[in-house]
Amino acid sequence: MFARLLGESFARNPRRKVLTAAALVIGMAVATATLTIALEVGDRLAREFRSLGANLLVTPESDTLPVEIGGVDYRPVDEGAYLNEADLGKLKTIFWRHNILGFTPFLDVPAYVSEIGGATTLIGTWYQHEVPVPDGTKFETGASATHPWWKVQGRWFRDGADECVVGSSLAEKYPAEFAIGKTIHVAQKEISGYVHPLAVTGIISTGDAEDNALLVPLAVAQEISGHPGKFRQLFVSALTKPADALAERGERAQTDKNVQLTPTEYDRWFCSPYISSIGFQIRTVLPGTEVHAIRRVAETEGRILTRVGTLLWIVTLAALGAAALAVAATSATTVLERRAEIGVMKALGASNALVGGIFLVEQVLLAIAGGAIGFFVGAGLARFLGKSVFGTPASPRLILFPVVLALAAVIAMVGSLVPLRRAAHFRPAVILRGE
Amino acid sequence: MFWRLVFQLLRGSRGRLGVAILAIVSGAAVISALLNLDLGVQSKLTQEFRTLGANIVISPASGAPAQISGAEVPSLMPEHDVLEALQQLPSAQVSAAAPYLYIVARAQNIPVVVAGTWLDQAQKLDATWKLEGNWIVSRADDSHCLVGRNVARRLHLAVGNPLELHYLDRSAQCSVAGILDAGGAEDNQVFASLRAVQSLANLPGQIGLAQVSVTGTAQVLADYAARLAAALLQYQVRPIRQVAEAEGALLGRIRLLIVSMVVLILILTALCVLGTMAALAMERRKDVGLMKSLGGSISRIVGVFLAEVGVLGAAGGLLGAILGAALSYWMGLRVFGTAISPRWEVFPVTIALMIVVTLTGALPLRMLGNVKPAEILRGE
Repeated sequence: MFARLLGESFARNPRRKVLTAAALVIGMAVATATLTIALEVGDRLAREFRSLGANLLVTPESDTLPVEIGGVDYRPVDEGAYLNEADLGKLKTIFWRHNILGFTPFLDVPAYVSEIGGATTLIGTWYQHEVPVPDGTKFETGASATHPWWKVQGRWFRDGADECVVGSSLAEKYPAEFAIGKTIHVAQKEISGYVHPLAVTGIISTGDAEDNALLVPLAVAQEISGHPGKFRQLFVSALTKPADALAERGERAQTDKNVQLTPTEYDRWFCSPYISSIGFQIRTVLPGTEVHAIRRVAETEGRILTRVGTLLWIVTLAALGAAALAVAATSATTVLERRAEIGVMKALGASNALVGGIFLVEQVLLAIAGGAIGFFVGAGLARFLGKSVFGTPASPRLILFPVVLALAAVIAMVGSLVPLRRAAHFRPAVILRGE
Repeated sequence: MFWRLVFQLLRGSRGRLGVAILAIVSGAAVISALLNLDLGVQSKLTQEFRTLGANIVISPASGAPAQISGAEVPSLMPEHDVLEALQQLPSAQVSAAAPYLYIVARAQNIPVVVAGTWLDQAQKLDATWKLEGNWIVSRADDSHCLVGRNVARRLHLAVGNPLELHYLDRSAQCSVAGILDAGGAEDNQVFASLRAVQSLANLPGQIGLAQVSVTGTAQVLADYAARLAAALLQYQVRPIRQVAEAEGALLGRIRLLIVSMVVLILILTALCVLGTMAALAMERRKDVGLMKSLGGSISRIVGVFLAEVGVLGAAGGLLGAILGAALSYWMGLRVFGTAISPRWEVFPVTIALMIVVTLTGALPLRMLGNVKPAEILRGE
């Protein structure tokens, strides 16, 4: 009997059902889309933030203090400790290896350029270099990944070739000597037996100390300095999660004996891509190093990511609220419109509970149908949004499907509760008389 | 007569109007809160990017010499020129500025980079610095210095210890006021007052570079740098590009994200209000029947209803806009720590939007033209 009543209700007045279902579909579609985006936005934005470049700096743990002014290391080449280029492949073996998006070694060498008859700094680095990884694969990385804001006019040097890229200030000062296509000769000292020829391939503008230096392939700098296979600094660009209380405790536990993590906390810290845990893992594969977060980058990134994350959750809540409102308003009007029907049922002896039950089951059925359609529409919407904002579509999250269905059912039921309570007070006689 | 009818209608069906008003007010609140937020978010995020610290560096035009043994220093410029140029430009956007003179001195016979600067500006120039001990509050304080954490470790220094710096045959002493954790090259440096370092190196009035922190968008930053460069032709003025370059794209993405979500919610809210208004309009059929039988023309009757709906939209919109402003104020506090102040332009936009939506919702009223009074009054 109950089922027949329900069936009749759907068959007799499909238009009204369509209205409620449409509100549910639209509401749930928006809810699904915003939830999908909010779940994904952390990862996406973190990746976007890598356009800020490296966020970790690895230096040798040394006895001497680096004598560094404006980003250039002024220590003589025979002073201080070096790191081994051959170890770099190990970076792609750590727990969070897939979060290591790039790394670039640097070796600064004071050098003498015979063409200008003066001294300058050679910065040995990689632009795009293939690093052999212990598992047999290759990983291509270099300044293109860690210093994406560096602009070169002309072209970058080829890895392993005797070529160089000249800093813009230097090129401005000696336009004839450092023109693209010219060859210059550098040596470690003014009077030196070994002179290295380098072809100028481009002019670089970085807005930093490199503007006054010569950028050369790492191998060339190693050869000139007499330290084959060595470097001094490593910049690492890693995908990280904004620091929270656990991340700070984990970082402090590294240096401070008074701070101890419980084993569970330690596991959670180690298995979260915090900048401190990635730094710790790098130090384990590169012993004898110090790893620092480049705080200027890491902190901005962390702060903005946290803020945008919170913001998006608030917007998502607003979307859920608006969806609930839309659904609730439609269900409320449906009940109001069907007063006559309720009157007839009551006049024929239906109890308030039966009338309420029929309406609620109807709403839940509608909610499930509307929620299911809404989920798929919303997944499509999220795909489109992801594509237009981040360039790659946001993949649908199936976990949201039951969540959205439950949400739709609850909203539809709550929306019809208030008008149903009013319906309980209807007096059949009054309604049937048409007032 | 017209307005009396409108108000009678509004008063007469409070119950049914309740739902509609609720929908309009909450819709308007969400819309105005999000509009406020969207307008406020860019300036807030720009500020976040700026807290990074100095973003313009002024340095001598010639390249820094490569070799600095004990006594040599990088190219210098007169302090006076730079400060004068900085003073002449409008200072509203400049949040901090400081000259620097770097020398390589010896402490306990170990070479260490000593930076002479205005120590009171140090904290403002780089908000990410952490200090154990006390900041130095006066730039004239020659007796205190800050040491980087690596220097402190290497030289076994603690807060309050004396530090003796040697440069050629001269020496200077300062007391360690704080140990600096900067997470960068500064960890290997000693920071002392500019005057103390100038006299230690015997370079009165000379500086190696100056850092300026400018607030505002990337465009403001570029403009300021250009004007500074024009005033300091003989020197290099370069905006620190790392952040400025990425900032525009990042802000664009975040903004696009928020805007697209706001648009979705806007559509949803509008639909919700629309649905409620349409239902309300249909319920008005009986009143129409009565009015028609009393001889009202259809255009006049529709006019009365549209006025009713318009008043509803305007009132709900106003109330919602106020609620929304409060909501965005709270959101600003919650997300950014500072309130987002309501924008006046949001109010008329929200109200207008609500009136348009409610009037659209009342479109089914056109069908009232077909209403036959007799049928309605009979109760069908």
